[in-house]
Amino acid sequence: MTTGIDLQGSFIKSLIDLGLPAGAAKAVWMPVPMVLMLIGATVGVLVTIWQERKISAAAQQRIGPEFMGPFGLLSPVADGIKFVFKEDIIPAKSDPWLFTLGPIIVVLPVFLSYLIVPFGENLAVTNVATGVFLWIALSSVQPIGLLMSGYASNNKYSLLGGLRAAAQSISYEIPLALAVLAVVMMSNSLSSIDIVEQQSGYGIFGWNVWRQPIGFLIFWISALAECERMPFDLPEAEEELVAGYQTEYSGMKFALYYVASYVNLVLSALLVTVLYLGGWESPIPIELLAGWLGISETSPWLEIADASLGITMTVLKAYFLVFTAILLRWTVPRVRIDQLLDLGWKFLLPVSLANLLLTAALKLAFPAAFGG
Amino acid sequence: MDFANLVDQLNAGTILPEGIVLTTLMVIVVGDLIVGRSASRWIPYTAIAGLLAAVVALYLQWNNPNPISFLGAFNSDDLSIVFRGIIALSTAVTILMSIRYIEQSGTALAEFIGIMLTATLGGMFLSGASELVTIFISLETLSISSYLMTGYTKRDPRSNEAALKYLLIGASSTGVFLYGVSLLYGLSGGETQLSAIASAIADANLSQSLGLVISLVFVIAGVAFKISAAPFHQWTPDVYEGSPTPVVAFLSVGSKAAGFALAIRLMNSAFPLLIDEWQFVFTALAVLSMVLGNVVALAQTSMKRMLAYSSIGQAGFVMIGLIAGTEAGYASMIFYLLVYLFMNLGAFTCLILFTLRTGTDQISEYSGLYQKDPLLTLCLSICLLSLGGIPPLAGFFGKIYLFWAGWQAGQYGLVLLGLVTTVVSIYYYIRVVRMMVVKEPQEMSDAVKNYPEVQWNLPGMRPLQVGLVLTLVATSLAGILSNPLFTLANSSIARTTTLQPIVISSHFSATVPAENSALQTQQ
Amino acid sequence: MNLAEGVQLVSFAILAVMMIGSALGVVLFSNIVYSAFLLAGVFVSISGIYLLLNADFVATAQILIYVGAVNVLILFAIMLVNKREDFKPLPNAWVRPTMTAIVSAGLFVLLSTMVLVTPWAYSTESVSSDTTIVLIGQHFFSDFLLPFELASVLLLMAMVGAIILARREFLPDQVITPDKQQQPVLTLPERPRELVGISSDKTSNLDDSRRSE
Repeated sequence: MTTGIDLQGSFIKSLIDLGLPAGAAKAVWMPVPMVLMLIGATVGVLVTIWQERKISAAAQQRIGPEFMGPFGLLSPVADGIKFVFKEDIIPAKSDPWLFTLGPIIVVLPVFLSYLIVPFGENLAVTNVATGVFLWIALSSVQPIGLLMSGYASNNKYSLLGGLRAAAQSISYEIPLALAVLAVVMMSNSLSSIDIVEQQSGYGIFGWNVWRQPIGFLIFWISALAECERMPFDLPEAEEELVAGYQTEYSGMKFALYYVASYVNLVLSALLVTVLYLGGWESPIPIELLAGWLGISETSPWLEIADASLGITMTVLKAYFLVFTAILLRWTVPRVRIDQLLDLGWKFLLPVSLANLLLTAALKLAFPAAFGG
Repeated sequence: MDFANLVDQLNAGTILPEGIVLTTLMVIVVGDLIVGRSASRWIPYTAIAGLLAAVVALYLQWNNPNPISFLGAFNSDDLSIVFRGIIALSTAVTILMSIRYIEQSGTALAEFIGIMLTATLGGMFLSGASELVTIFISLETLSISSYLMTGYTKRDPRSNEAALKYLLIGASSTGVFLYGVSLLYGLSGGETQLSAIASAIADANLSQSLGLVISLVFVIAGVAFKISAAPFHQWTPDVYEGSPTPVVAFLSVGSKAAGFALAIRLMNSAFPLLIDEWQFVFTALAVLSMVLGNVVALAQTSMKRMLAYSSIGQAGFVMIGLIAGTEAGYASMIFYLLVYLFMNLGAFTCLILFTLRTGTDQISEYSGLYQKDPLLTLCLSICLLSLGGIPPLAGFFGKIYLFWAGWQAGQYGLVLLGLVTTVVSIYYYIRVVRMMVVKEPQEMSDAVKNYPEVQWNLPGMRPLQVGLVLTLVATSLAGILSNPLFTLANSSIARTTTLQPIVISSHFSATVPAENSALQTQQ
Repeated sequence: MNLAEGVQLVSFAILAVMMIGSALGVVLFSNIVYSAFLLAGVFVSISGIYLLLNADFVATAQILIYVGAVNVLILFAIMLVNKREDFKPLPNAWVRPTMTAIVSAGLFVLLSTMVLVTPWAYSTESVSSDTTIVLIGQHFFSDFLLPFELASVLLLMAMVGAIILARREFLPDQVITPDKQQQPVLTLPERPRELVGISSDKTSNLDDSRRSE
């Protein structure tokens, strides 16, 4: 099997050819994937916001943004510019330090989590051995920021929103982690790249979603709850809490929350892709296609095609999931807080435990199919 | 390492008694969940049956030729078997006395017994743990269950206060203990098994390093908290006063026995190089405990508080055996703990009975009890006199053996102090007995005047009666017929290999005068 | 010194300053909410130090458990009961902090002397961070099997206990009977001591709240 395109190797090699010492060449390379990933995440958010507007409009039989760029594509950019120029208000009697720190703490771990999202064999920032576990740990930091801004706003709706957000995030982290654990058990690794590789080889039939249908549903429900998407957006339920922990925020700080929630949504969709939908693998394995067309697997343009196909596939699958999330927003009513916690603790938790046990049993019984 | 090979190496049969306790625990928790409230009829008896089965299983493992199990994490030698037996027995007796008490306080019985069994499990594992991580986890199992039980009557501010105090002080002492243990891990270059730690430290010539001494002090602080030795005793009176009385009974016997087992194993296996230092620290602890416990107990007006201070003093007496460091010393510790099990639990059973009938535990309210309830008076008097060490009773022989062992090892000052404080302790024990027996009918307290008719057929009273009679018989007979207990204590020490080398080395280094005196007595 | 070592040194310096600074903040701030937030800073810096020690799994677990669970629970508790109350300033209030400072400084000097004096047994084998998870798993199922399994019993009972302490009891109305033995539910059967007694030791002032019935 080919190892795919090796951007890092060729980049460093070309720098060394230009006369740089090897250490410096590596140091030059290091920030490149990070910056690329940051830009990618931000562009991803802009696309998602546009998508959200268009699909919401379609769900309500409107047209949506139309005049800002072709199909209103530039409307998220306009939003961003508006946020930048808004006045940054810090309410009187609030705690200015915590008030400012809150949104930063919420945003940072989300962007950091992109560290583990792979777009191809070698197209990831780095292959972290603790992979998905790192993501779970990082996403557990978010509630601190939410509590912080809820407390600092000195507003009871904010505090309630912050507390709700933290409670929700803690409750749904457990089924989420248990669902991930079942996948990890099948692939014998926490690394996101290994998880995708374990699903490769059989095209669409090799994906984990067939072997982990319950886990897939649990993961997607919990991920939506973690992102505070619509059926579970209680922390900012506008009828009850004005806007939850965001009530007092304006300008760039509000934008940070806005961005964080959308980045988180895209990230969750990407992780569902990685864990259950075969990551960068296309539904028909590319080796098979190459074999049919009689092209050598090592030809350079096939490698490039493979890499771009990988990125396209990952993004396509992720945006399909984002699409379903947006549709859910306009079709499912919001749950009550006690229903939300009941669902998390009394339904998802036992089901995910059972799923874990079932996976372990299947792994013992059919080691070939379940990654023995 | 393949699976079958690993199972062989684990030698998991040694934890069969703990397995029985754990199974009982699961049966109780799940059974209560399925059956509901009516389950409280059979749950305590199941628990007692499980604990007695565990004791039988322990007996069958006596003199196990291959005691090391779980790749060195657990050592099921005879020493640990005796201590595990003491802990399991103390829980069984405690459950007998807790049924009525818990029902009358309106709390859930099944959960209480479940937590109690978990504490027992922690204590039993602690008695045999010979590896730092196992020691820590079992210590935490014991401690956290104890915190939970302490706060079990949650509507009572005294219980809340007790639980919070116990939790905070316990957590900080655990932190200190953990720091000391981590120093051991570092000094030995990454070993967690006690014997490996000792040899690694000896190999690295670190035996007199500052790090080892600090680690010793920190570890002793953690252990002294568990056995509530002064000056780590501050939690004891408040916790004893605010906790449900069966919990106090368990804390003063089972939990303390586990603490002593830990002390013996840790000091002998991990700190053999610092034998003088740890004996010195424990001497200080013993002196403080004996003096403070017995003197402050004089001023108490509540029985529970008085027994709290008395238990501090008793811990001081038991430490004499540990300091002696000889085979006789350890054997006398075990013997005394066995006797203490019956007499202290007997005293607490009487306390519970009196409290349930009158709703008070003030010492002054006991006056004239003899006229109304002779059996209770007899049992409480016997247990208290035995705790004080009055001759024909079991406590006397336990104390004599302890002091004899201490004297043999050359701890003259300590033994003399022990004798003096014993006399002090007899005063406050006798005070209660006098209050109950001697008073004229017109001096009877209000509580005793309104004493309800003695009814043994109320739900939960029968087991209390059984416990009362059992401890009464054991306390009065164990002294005269003490030979089996004596042999048990001695043979458990004689067959425990970890204690042997250290006894020899202490003969060579620390207790030369003791050797001389021993020789003189032989001549 | 190559690039990697330089980066390690700088990161260690940053993490150490961050850890000590926020730990001091935890102790010294009078606002308990600040202390709780700074505690998260301490935990994050500790996890960074674990990373520098090639213990990536422990570092991640540290963030997940201490920052994500323990600290959030602490914050929850603080925010649910955060009652602003102005305490009367005690006379000689400076004595306690001074004593604490002296004791802590003494302990610090003692421990740092110990660290410097002791010839530590360094482990020379290099640790590869790729296999940490595998190694931890192997230990859990061989020589640390017993504590690993015992921890599950501990957690089970801690959960049961937490539920017992936290659950709301639906108490039936107390039947008012002339029977004096009837004690209020979920309390100790012993009567609290009288405050005016001759008892020698201090009595908790919580007692009188119960005597009202």
